[in-house]
Formats: sequence, C-alpha cells, structure tokens
Amino acid sequence: MSLTERKAPSSQRASGSKHHAGRKTPLRIPDVLFTGALAVIAVVFFFPMLWMVFSSFKSNSAIFATPFALPTEIDFGRWVEAFEIGHIGQYALNSIIVTGTSVLGILLFGAAAAFAFSRYRFRGRNLLMGLLALGLLLPLQSYFIAQSTMFTQLAITDTRWALIIPYTAMGLPLAVYLLKVYLDAVPNELFEAARIDGASDLRVFGSIALPLLRPGLATVAIFSALSSWNEFLLALLYIQDDALKTIPTGLLAFSSRYVTDYGLLFSALSIVTLPMIVIYIVFNKQIVEGITAGSVK
Amino acid sequence: MKANRTATPYLFLVPAMAVFGFAVLFPVIMTFAYSFTEWNGYGTMVFVGIDNYIKAANDVLFRDSFVHVLIYIAITIVLEVVVGLVLAGLVSVHRRGSLWFRVAIFTPVMLPMVVVAVLWAFVYNNDFGLLNAALQSLGLDSLQRVWLGDPATALLAVSVVSGWVYAGFYMTIFYAAFNQVPTEVIEAARLDGANEWQLFRRIKVPMIRNAITVALLLCITGGFQGFDLFYVMTNGGPYGATEIPTTYLVKSVFTFQNVGYGSAMAVVLTAVVVALGLVFTRVNREKPEDVRS
Repeated sequence: MSLTERKAPSSQRASGSKHHAGRKTPLRIPDVLFTGALAVIAVVFFFPMLWMVFSSFKSNSAIFATPFALPTEIDFGRWVEAFEIGHIGQYALNSIIVTGTSVLGILLFGAAAAFAFSRYRFRGRNLLMGLLALGLLLPLQSYFIAQSTMFTQLAITDTRWALIIPYTAMGLPLAVYLLKVYLDAVPNELFEAARIDGASDLRVFGSIALPLLRPGLATVAIFSALSSWNEFLLALLYIQDDALKTIPTGLLAFSSRYVTDYGLLFSALSIVTLPMIVIYIVFNKQIVEGITAGSVK
Repeated sequence: MKANRTATPYLFLVPAMAVFGFAVLFPVIMTFAYSFTEWNGYGTMVFVGIDNYIKAANDVLFRDSFVHVLIYIAITIVLEVVVGLVLAGLVSVHRRGSLWFRVAIFTPVMLPMVVVAVLWAFVYNNDFGLLNAALQSLGLDSLQRVWLGDPATALLAVSVVSGWVYAGFYMTIFYAAFNQVPTEVIEAARLDGANEWQLFRRIKVPMIRNAITVALLLCITGGFQGFDLFYVMTNGGPYGATEIPTTYLVKSVFTFQNVGYGSAMAVVLTAVVVALGLVFTRVNREKPEDVRS
C-alpha cells in the first residue's frame, strides 16, 4: 500500500515527461484520473492480503464483528505464537533445504547437459534432446502415480529426497533448453582458443562456459526456486512426517489443526507471505523476468 | 585419448539424464503400463487390457470432471488472459509511470497456491468472510452465499481465485510484448487520428498475436493440470461440483487404491495436455521465430 501511495506521484511525472518529449506538460486531469483508476484496481487487488495482515492482529470476535476495521493494536504476540506452535521455522528450514538442493542440482546438471548439447556432436544427441524437450510438455500427472509407488518401494518417501529428486528432474528440461540457447550464442572461437591452450573439457566448462552462463543461471535459479518452494501435490503425497513438511503442506496441516483459531491462522499466513513480498519488491525486476522467461519459452 | 574425447559429451549428460530418466521418463512409461492393469499398489497386478479406458469412457464422474475443468478453463481465460490483456493495454498507454502498478498486480504469483487457497477460503467464509461482509456493507445482503459450499457457485469461486493470481502474470507477458511493437507504427496510427482504444484493438493486439497464443496455451494446459486450489478449497465438493480430473484421479489412486484406473485417467489427461501443447507449438512455429535449433 505505502508503496503505491509513495510511488504514484513520481511515476506521474515520469509518464508526463516521457509522453511529450518536446513540450513540457503540466499534470493533466486525464493522467490523474488514469493513475487514480490504477490505484483503485491495485487496492482491490491487494485487499485480501491487507485483510489477512489486519486480521492477524485481531481476536476471533473482532474478526467476526468488524471485518473491515483496522486492528486496535499491532501485537506481534500472535505471530510469535503461530511461528512456534505452527512449527513454521521447521517448515521453512525444510523448504530451504529442499529448494536449495534442487536448484543447485538443476543449475549444475542443467549447465553440464546444455554444454554437451551445445558444444558437441555425438550419436544419440537428437534423441536425448528430444526426450528432454518432451519433458517441457509432460504434465506432472503423466508420472506421479508410478513415481509414488516407486518411491515407496525404494523407501524414498518421507525423506527430503522424495522432493529433491523430482523437483530437480522437473526443472531440468527448461534449464537445459534455456542454457543451451545462451551457449549457442557464444562464439566458437572462445572455446577453441582455450582448447588450443591445452585446457581440458572440464576446465573449458568450468572456467569459460559457467561464467558466461551467469545471467542464464540466474533466470533458471529464480523460476526453479519459486516452483520448488511452492510445489504442493508431490509434497502432499510423499511427505507424511510433520518434521519434514515444506511450507505449503506444513501450512495446510497447521490450518487443519487450528481450524477455528482464525487470528492464529491469519498470523501464520502473514508470516509465510510477507517475506516473499519483501523479496519480490527488492528483486522484482529479476523475478518478473525469471518467471515470465521460464514459462513463456 | 580419442575414445576419451567421444565419451566426453556423455559424461556431461549423465547426471541430468539419470535424474530425469529416473524421476520422469521411467515413471511415465510405468504409469502407462499400470493403466492396463488392475492393481492396488502392493498386491498382485492383473493385466486387464483396455478395461480401464472403457471404464473411464463410461465413468460419469470422470466425464463431469472434464466438464468442470473446461468451465474452469473458460472462466480463467477471461479472468486471466483477457483481463491481463486489458490491464497491459491500460498500463502501456503510460509506459513509464506504471511500474508500481505492475509490481503490485504481479505479487500473488509469488505466493504458494496453498497460502492463496487458505486465504481465499477465508474471504469466502460464511461467518466472517470478506466477500459476504462487503456485500452486506453495500446493502446487497441478498447476494450473500455460502460461496464454496453451494454447488452453483463453488466452481466460479475457485476460478476467481485463479484469476486473482494470474491476471498480473499475463499482464506482465502482454506488457512486455506491447513494448516490442515498433513506436513508428503506433505514432503513425496516432497521426492518422486513431484513439487509444482503436490503437489497442486494431494495432497493438493484432501485433502481439504470438504472445496471446502462448498465453492461451499456458492458461489451457495449466488449467488441465489444476490441483492445489481445488484440493485445499473444496477437494472436489460440494457434491462433486468442483471435481476436476486431477483431484478425481488422486482420490482414485491414493484413497481408493485403484492404481490401474487412476493411471488410465492420468494417461488420458496427459494425452490431452501433450496434444494441445504440440498443436500450439506447431501454430507458433509457422512464424519465422526459431523455436528449437
């Protein structure tokens, strides 16, 4: 909210000056109306989230009696309570471990595979690339049933690997595809020069390809991190042990344990939401680019 | 030395292909195999041919789940793609000044769907929900509903939440596409006296047809794969009004232990999604743009 209010006037100026490069126009009434309309849309959009945060500071009776009222006091006691009895710290830690490991795997394995596809011609290249491209089209539903029976038989379920392995596998096709596009654009001479200097293939990959891939890796990291962080279906099926649950399934378990303690639930929702919004506001340019590139390609 | 060189690309590929083969390709093949069996997941597996597919074709609940997901997709195309297009059109009129707005509207995309679902279940709550409270304060008490508990409104209610999340996502895609439209084209149309609406309708939208096709593909195939919102908000209810293929097949497999039948439904759903993906890819490949080297 404060963001919208703070930025609106300055953006107004920016749009005015951009609009008519030649003459200096004062604030025009249509511009004000326009920005006003956008502000109204944004507020309506944001209202559920504001309501969530306001309600987290209220008692059950206040939530029922005055749903629109501002909270009478800002007391983070309920947040602390929700964090502790909701094991949110544990869930967050699990999410960090699962997401972190998956993203690392996607980046490293994806970059290596992209390097192989981009720099070498070898037998089976088209077949393997085709299989990975198929992975771009295949929905989760095409494999999760057999995956779950397989994980049960191998006793992988109820370990973090039950999430790390599929999240890594699901992220790879897009990662390989995007990183290969980056590598294809690198002039061959760069690699040849290193090779003539006697660098091994692994060295060429590690000290030439990887640094060049940095922007691509950042994009891949952003969208794979978000999709791992938010993934729900597999987490629901594979993790029953509360101590290993990630934020989505942990929050759901919490909300079914405390169905009627609304203030507590709103606090828990706020706790998991606000850090995401802060991260998003700080890195919004990279995140928006990462997510859209990830899904449009 | 020579042999070593030919092995190199395969060595680089081993980790990725091993993980992908193990966790995706092999289970895809096995799911397909299961679809021809009757199996509870641990006992003996019985080969039943295409019985599961025949059963699926005659299963009213499965058919209804497709009807529901199609309605859901239709609604989300309007709420996500069309609304996203209109919002992008609005903000692209005043390009520079709209960053705060684009940031704000994109925010829900960041949140786990489960969080969104729990929050919106509260918005729709009958006792203290924001929606009914808003209707009451506007004097529209007669419109109050048990939104998620009424078969007439539950599917719409869930779809609206999806719209809330993704309208900003599609707006962002379209906004980026609008920015690619050459300024000379727009200036020329302006000189010819086109107003902003004509500019949007006749110039900008036709020129980003490619982006719109991609958005429709994402919205449709994503819709078929929907699960999180439905599972948390209604789990298929009330009275099966929001049962979609994925919630239905998850129940078949994990509640009723019909692994074979669930797999057959999963194969049908996969076929639909992959076919749509291929059709759209072909449509887009007709454009000069190089999709894959």
